[in-house]
This record gives sequence, C-alpha cells and structure tokens, in this order.
Amino acid sequence: MNVPKSASIVIIGGGVSGCAIAWNLANRGIKDIVLLEKDTLANGSTGRCGAGIRMQWAAEKNCRLAQYSVEFFENGNEILGYERDIEFEQSGYLIVAANEKEAEQFKKNVKLQNSLGIPSVYLTPEEAREIVPLLDTSQFVAATFCQKDGHLNPFHTTDAYAMAAERLGVKKFKHTEVIGIEVKNGRIESVETTRGRIATNIVVNAAGGWSKAIGAMAGVDIPTYVQRHQILVTEPLEPVFSPMVMGFSYNIYIQQVPHGSIIMGRSDNTEPLDFRTTSGWKFVEEMTKTCSKLLPALRTANVLRQWAGHYCMTEDAQPIYGPAPGLEGMYLACGFSGHGFMLAPATAQLVSEMILGEPLTIDVSDLDVGRFERRELVFEHSVV
Amino acid sequence: MLINTGVPTREQIELRLPSPERRARGPYAMVECFQEIPCNPCSTSCPFDAILPMGDINEIPAIDLDRCTGCGICAGVCPGLAIFIIDESKGDGTASVTIPYEFRPLPEKGEMVRAVNREGDVIGDAVVTRVLLSKKTKTPLVTVRVADEHVHEVRFFNLIDNKTVCDKTSSKIEEEPKTDDTACATDDDEIILCRCEGITLRTIRDLIREGYTTVDEIKRISRAGMGPCQARTCGPLIASEIARMTGQPVAEIQPSAHRAPVKPMPIEFFLGGDSE
Repeated sequence: MNVPKSASIVIIGGGVSGCAIAWNLANRGIKDIVLLEKDTLANGSTGRCGAGIRMQWAAEKNCRLAQYSVEFFENGNEILGYERDIEFEQSGYLIVAANEKEAEQFKKNVKLQNSLGIPSVYLTPEEAREIVPLLDTSQFVAATFCQKDGHLNPFHTTDAYAMAAERLGVKKFKHTEVIGIEVKNGRIESVETTRGRIATNIVVNAAGGWSKAIGAMAGVDIPTYVQRHQILVTEPLEPVFSPMVMGFSYNIYIQQVPHGSIIMGRSDNTEPLDFRTTSGWKFVEEMTKTCSKLLPALRTANVLRQWAGHYCMTEDAQPIYGPAPGLEGMYLACGFSGHGFMLAPATAQLVSEMILGEPLTIDVSDLDVGRFERRELVFEHSVV
Repeated sequence: MLINTGVPTREQIELRLPSPERRARGPYAMVECFQEIPCNPCSTSCPFDAILPMGDINEIPAIDLDRCTGCGICAGVCPGLAIFIIDESKGDGTASVTIPYEFRPLPEKGEMVRAVNREGDVIGDAVVTRVLLSKKTKTPLVTVRVADEHVHEVRFFNLIDNKTVCDKTSSKIEEEPKTDDTACATDDDEIILCRCEGITLRTIRDLIREGYTTVDEIKRISRAGMGPCQARTCGPLIASEIARMTGQPVAEIQPSAHRAPVKPMPIEFFLGGDSE
C-alpha cells in the first residue's frame, strides 16, 4: 500500500501523541491528514510506560496540562467512540514524602493543586495506610493523595485515538518509515517514506525518541535524547491496593493495575543513553529492594516479566511544544521525559491550536524549543 | 401537533438544523427537546460545555455547535431519549444517526435493520455501524447508516426476525487480509489459545481481521501472552494463525520479545544477601 502523493499535514509517530494530534486536527474538520509509524502503534515510549495518570505536580503548568487531560480521559471512550475500553480507573495516586524537606514541598504542592481545583489532600502516614494498608508507615513522614489520578491502558488509548482519527478520514500507515524530509528555501516541501513520497508543507514531529533524527533530516537540531527506563510486573493477584504509590526520593512508582498485576518502575541515571530495550539485573535488584522496604508484604509476589522502553528526555524534563526554529512547517511535540502518555489530550489540543494559529487553551509558549538556547529552563521537581 | 402526537413538525426540526457547513464538517448532537421541563443532565454531562449551562432548570437546552464534537454523551444521559447524533460528513450518499437504544437484544455491528421514523413507520433499511456500550451513561448508543435523505427522519429501528449481517458498510473490511472463511467458521473458535489469560481463537481471529497482524499487537490489545507462561504456548500458535490468515510464511511473522525472568520468581529472591 503506497502513501498518498500529497497531504495537508503529515504526522510522524504512531504513539499516543501522534495519534491524539491526528484525531484532534481531523475532529476540527482538517482533511488529508497522514499519520506515519515506522513500526506498530504504541511501540515506543507509549506502549512501554507505567500507565499512570496524575494531576499532582509541583509546577502550575503541569497541573493544568494534566487536569485538562484527566477531564478528557474521564469521557475518553465516549468522545472517541471506542468500543473496547481505555480502562481509565481513577484509583488515585498516593505520593509519599521520605523526609521533612519533601513534606514541606508537598504542602506547597497541595496548596497549589487545590487552588486549581485538583482535589489532592495532605496525609499523615497513618492516614495513608488507611488507603494502602500494605505500607510500612515507618518509612515515610507524610503523603499526599488525589483520588482523581489513576491508571489508563496505553495500548487501548492509542488505538482509540487512531481508530477515531481514521473514521474522520486520517490515513494511517504502520510499518512506514520516514527516510528523508525535503526542505526548500527554509520551508518543508515533502516527506520521503519507505512507501513513497508525500508532498506537504506541514509536518508534526511526534516521533518521541526518534524526534532528534527526524529533525536532523530537515536540518534542525532538536535537543532531545533517549534514556532507557525499566519496569517489572508481577503475576496477577487478588486486589490488595488500587492507587499508584509513588516516592520521589524513594525513586519508585508502583501500582496494582485493574487486571491484578503489580507494575513497578524507577529511574537510574546510569542507564544507557541509546535505543537499547534490553533488561538489566541492576534494575530488578534495586527495584525489589525499594518495593520490599515500602510495601514489605509484596516480598512473596512472583515477578513475571521485566521490560524496558525509553524516555525521550530534554534538559529540564519538560516537553517541547511549538514550531521548529528556522524551518517553516515543522511543529514539535516531543521531549516528554516520561510523562507524554498522561498529557496526550492536552498535547493534541495545544499542537492543533498552534498549527491552526488559534489562541492556546493553556499558555505553553515558554515550552518552545528556544528555551534551551535562551537558558530559560522550566524545572519540575515531582518526577521519577 | 407535538402536544397531541409527540411528533415535532418539520418546521420545528428545521429550526434546529445546523448550518450546511457545520453539517458537512462532522458529527453533531441534534437536540429534539421541545418542552420546558425541569431536566438538565445533557448540559451538566457535556465534556465540552457545548450544551450551555441553564439559568433555569426548565429551559430548553441550547447548543453551541462549534464546541460539539458529536461524542454522544448527552444522547446517552438524556432521560427522554430526545438527543441523536447526526453525521452527514461522509459525502457518499449515506449518513448516520446514533440512537439511544434501551431494548434487548442489542443489534450487532453490520446487522441490517428496518429504519423507523418519528411516527413509528418503517421508511427503509439501515445498517448498524456501531454499538457503543458506555460505562458512563449506561444507555447503549447504536449508530445506523441510512440514505442521506432519511437522516433527519430516522429515529428508531426494528430488528429483523431472520437477522442478516451485511458487512458492506464497515470500513475495516476493505483492509481485511485474505481469509479462508470456511475454516474460520468452525467450532475451533471456542478453543482457548492463551491459557494463562483465557483468550479464545475467536478473539485472536477477530483481531487479525481488524488489522492486528503482529504477535505483539495482539498481545497488547488482548493480553494473550502476558501471563505466567510468557507466550511460550500461545506465541507460536498466534504466529501461525497470523500466517494462515494473511498468507505470509510463518517464518516472517515476528515473534514477541522474550523477557527475563525465564520463570516467575518471588520478589524476595532478587534481594540477595545485600538487603539492608
């Protein structure tokens, strides 16, 4: 199956961001959109992520982006007309503070979140244990909880967006790799793929870990890099706790998903900075150690599988939204640094508004790619 | 007259129709609520604030069609079954109506039904293109495709006794890989292919027909292969089913990734002697 000879917009990347942007644009009546994916949908960061959705952030912008996205996911099956289930379970996020300093920051976070309408609460360790009885309360000094956070299935969500987009006329091509981008007089002219050439003036670079390589094809330097992240999953168990339990200094996120399996992940700055998705021993050792400390009862649960994916990182661990500098026609939606899945509805809304020159629902003008050169980085401390 | 018959007049309907541009753009909600009654779930349930807030709960709903995406949540929550989702954007001589349907049995996707107008008369045939079971609204939303000129008339459908399933309108079918239909229609369909997760051959075949033609894609959507055996049993079986249905050699079907540990191991095993 060859690609069409021309398109109004070519979206590169069949992860959740690319599919959501395709749907959002088509839903506004834009025709002749082409979505390109070099492998299968959700095969990069989306399909390998921890599947958590949260609104508990330390920076106002992230709170707003997440809030917009949660409201979308609450109605996701209906809005996208999805006949399966995206499995949005608002089972909450319980975030533990390992020390007083972290607890002080958490108080500020809750105050900010509440001012925006996010219903998070500050808890003592005993109150936290009422929500997750498996917690060892001697291991933390305070916690915050937001019931509206939760879990969402990345495969079904990506599929729901892609199928809704296709019903609105978007042409989706799996197993179709971009191999070149033609630029003339500073303007995009066409995209070359393994299934033919598409004339277009607008390209959305939602290629995640490959966004830098896509930029390079058009002669633009996009300051993203990849880092491997690992997760492990246990056998399915009877329900024992439902919220995502997270600790920033503990470096853990752990949740029993609706199916019964317990998923846990952590970060490690010594992980390789390349596309390796192999599994490592160090991860499983560190991960099980932290897990046994915080939730000792899980020591006897069987580990079924570990897997790996990569974060598409930026220097300040914040996404890049907006036009590529010095090149007319390329819009960036990349560098999500581990939280692209949960922000997809906001990403789709904002990138569509940028392409169509409409006012932005949430001001993200400071998340442009130029911030790295200007040294105006936007830091967010609440990340694993 | 509406007050006597419960049927709105043509003029009343025409006054509610969006502009031709909006109608061509995509699905929209058609609110056929004509009497002031104390009722507002449509307005409070709309995720896009397209059904405007009511100052007085008796007000007739007003809709901002620029915000409406035709998602159908209002149609599912309206206790009067007075909201329909109309999609006239296809441009191929057909259009679709989404109807809140409170009866059992539900029709199947692809099934032929009799299209019924507001008076209750059969005015032609229709094909069911979607049956959406919403956890949120609890009312099934059934979308039927009808001839363009009937889209503002059809508001219900009757099931046909000898049901016929016609796949003509399903866009998925065009991409369907070549299949051996006689082989697919046997009782084999009930065989459990993935024993850890209880996934039947029928589910696997349905997914292959829908265009999921790699082992990993099928695993991600159905969970086949995610259980304790880690696809050791079902993985090769799924690969051979894909090969059979798509006509590719089985050697060319990419297997799913194999991951550590080789067999399930308890968390405490990994702690070693180094535990603090």
